[in-house]
Amino acid sequence: MATITAPLDRPLEGKRPHINEYLRWSVDHKIIGVQYMVTALFFFIVGGALAMMIRAELLTPALDVAASGQQFNTIFSMHGTIMIFGWIIPMMAGFGNYFVPLQLGAKDMAFPWLNAFAFWLIPPAGMLLILSWFIGPIEAGWTAYPPLSTLFSGDGQTLAALSLHLLGISSILGAINFIVTIKNMRPPGMGYFQMPLFTWTILATALIIVLATPFLAGALTLLILDRIGGTKFFDAANGGDVLLWQNVFWFYSHPAVYIMVLPGMGILSEVLAVHSRKSIFGYKLVALSSLGIALIGFTVWAHHMFTSLTPELRIPFMITSMIIAVPTGIKVFSWLATIWMGKIRFTAAMLFGLGFLSMFVIGGISGVMLATLPFDIHVHDTYFVVSHLHFVLFGGAVFAIYAGIYHWFPKVTGRMLDERLGRLHFFITYVSFFLTFFPMNFAGMLGMPRRVAVYDPKFQTLNVIISIAGFVLGVSTFILFYNMFDSLRHGKKASANPWRALTLEWATSSPPPSTNFIEDPVPMSDPYGYGTTEAEAYLYGQEQQFGPLKPAHFEAALLAAASDDSDPLPEGAGD
Amino acid sequence: MTVTRCPKAQGINVTDGVFVGAQRAVPLLWNTIANMQQQYTEHQLTREEREALQALQNKRTGLAIFQLSWIMVFVSLVVANLQLRYNAASWPPPGVAALNATVPTVMTVGLIISSVFAGRAARAIKENRGAAFLSQWRMMLLLGIIFVAVMAYEWVTVPVTGQYSDLFRVMVGFHGIHALVIGAMAVIVERRGSAGRYHADHFWTVEATAKLWHFVTIAWLLFYLFLYWI
Repeated sequence: MATITAPLDRPLEGKRPHINEYLRWSVDHKIIGVQYMVTALFFFIVGGALAMMIRAELLTPALDVAASGQQFNTIFSMHGTIMIFGWIIPMMAGFGNYFVPLQLGAKDMAFPWLNAFAFWLIPPAGMLLILSWFIGPIEAGWTAYPPLSTLFSGDGQTLAALSLHLLGISSILGAINFIVTIKNMRPPGMGYFQMPLFTWTILATALIIVLATPFLAGALTLLILDRIGGTKFFDAANGGDVLLWQNVFWFYSHPAVYIMVLPGMGILSEVLAVHSRKSIFGYKLVALSSLGIALIGFTVWAHHMFTSLTPELRIPFMITSMIIAVPTGIKVFSWLATIWMGKIRFTAAMLFGLGFLSMFVIGGISGVMLATLPFDIHVHDTYFVVSHLHFVLFGGAVFAIYAGIYHWFPKVTGRMLDERLGRLHFFITYVSFFLTFFPMNFAGMLGMPRRVAVYDPKFQTLNVIISIAGFVLGVSTFILFYNMFDSLRHGKKASANPWRALTLEWATSSPPPSTNFIEDPVPMSDPYGYGTTEAEAYLYGQEQQFGPLKPAHFEAALLAAASDDSDPLPEGAGD
Repeated sequence: MTVTRCPKAQGINVTDGVFVGAQRAVPLLWNTIANMQQQYTEHQLTREEREALQALQNKRTGLAIFQLSWIMVFVSLVVANLQLRYNAASWPPPGVAALNATVPTVMTVGLIISSVFAGRAARAIKENRGAAFLSQWRMMLLLGIIFVAVMAYEWVTVPVTGQYSDLFRVMVGFHGIHALVIGAMAVIVERRGSAGRYHADHFWTVEATAKLWHFVTIAWLLFYLFLYWI
């Protein structure tokens, strides 16, 4: 039974790489991870600004902010494309890059050079995407359905397709790296079922990426050929078929929503267990349910096409779409049982974790409603769909990213974030998020179509509420940015393991030295065994060797969050 | 390595002695074996050797996953072919002559043989048989170049008839680009091989190129089946 991890490296503690290291080619997975995350945060701001423009336009039923309907099309198309391909996917890749090797006790990823190459495809791709705004409007939404994307959009659509090609290749190379790292570089004593759950979800995500993203590459190749190569694959007048795009695109893009949300589910499992001092409930099932989601995710794509699909195929796809709620449900119940009777500490990370849990369930339930064929046909292409999408992607993925930032910022930078600002950020974000996206359900069921700049005046009250809440949501993001910038300089120094967690990324100094660990670390036999004697001995040993994990100058809330040895666990809560 | 003592083992009576003895002996024996194994393996391999072995294993897994992933692009083009064909009243469309399979069949056989040569060449270099490696690698290159040249001719001369020929040209062209890029790698391997750069301790580039050439063959078999027979 292995309990002792490698000694921390005292002298190197708190030494961050110089800023220049982040601006140039580096093969250190920690530098690359930060490069991914900072790039993604930049795109988050760009995409967010576009969202603010959309909401400003929709304050009134008439066309006022955008110069024309075409310009409005461009705004929401850019918003969707940038948020998905520039923000969420690279951000999750950033978390994976930074923490997967650390959680495995490895020195780096399996292919450090390839890792850097995969990252450096993103800035040029992002530039192409933004440039497409200037050379000709994209008007087909992020889904780029032909004939909108072939006959109506400007040259920007070609540029955006090239950009997505690059991003797809970057994702595939990154995913290959993750799979090889996880398969071959686990330390002795760590089988697949001793791996932290975040690493599990990254493995499942990487499997989806390697199997699904090539379909996007195929579809984009055909689209580019139709636009500039003179072929007519999507031109119905010449024997082509627009459904061809929908099939191949959704065969990638439906699994892609799991690419976006699965790592978030992994972050949530880490955060909930650590901040409620409880072992994960049903660890094996949670781990396997990630693979279940990945697998079933490949059988549901046509539920995006209920209105255009051959009628006989609708029911089978309705059934598979409902089945995918099962592995997701396993995760939700596991999270609930994990925090049940736990010693919950309401840190900002935990609050965002609970925020994810509540909002993602709403998104999941509206997802099951949309999977129901008669209802889907009723709300097809309305704001109900917009609401569902944002509940799972903002309420799910983005809340998980926020939880991950509050949880892991001390490890990456060696400084704690300001918890009070964090809680303020949470409450404003949570309330304004709900008020932005929940009323969209009503607008949708009353029949307000999505992707329009001009709407029926009877929807104005709802839209004004949505827009005002949306502006608050936009502004609330800057609390986080201020917190991050301020804490980098003035934040309290973080110890190696401020949350007293058991996974290996906390067994080295904050920030970790360039080789990650001084000696090869030995993992715990159960990465979530909070309350066990093994865990107590390990945390006690860490304190004996390196002083208190929770320094005296911590705030009261953090002190409470960090201590779990003073009072015994409630009966039945332990493992 | 220390043996953990079971706390219950203290203050036992004589009848329990056998069991306690077994309880303590098993971990002791286990640890001894583990220690011996550890010493043995550590003696066998230096740290550098172990890292090199790990790196090779990583490259092999990585390449296998890349092949699994990238074949999906070819599958997606087959899907496109099937869907457009499903929409058409008849396939090939009325008035369009079906592609002739004779020359491509000969070429397919040639490509398979070249792939076999590539595999044998890679095995030869791992066994330090440099001359055999070079001759088989050159056979593979020769057959590969003939394949690319003939298929390029087919690509240029196919009559333009709308979707049917467009699909043919996209699929064969997409495959051809892969054959050209990986073929160029094979030419570089040949140049370096002639200079004697590869041997039993330095063979990864040869193995990778051979495996990628197998990929070209398998991707072609997929297309060949759907373009000419199904």
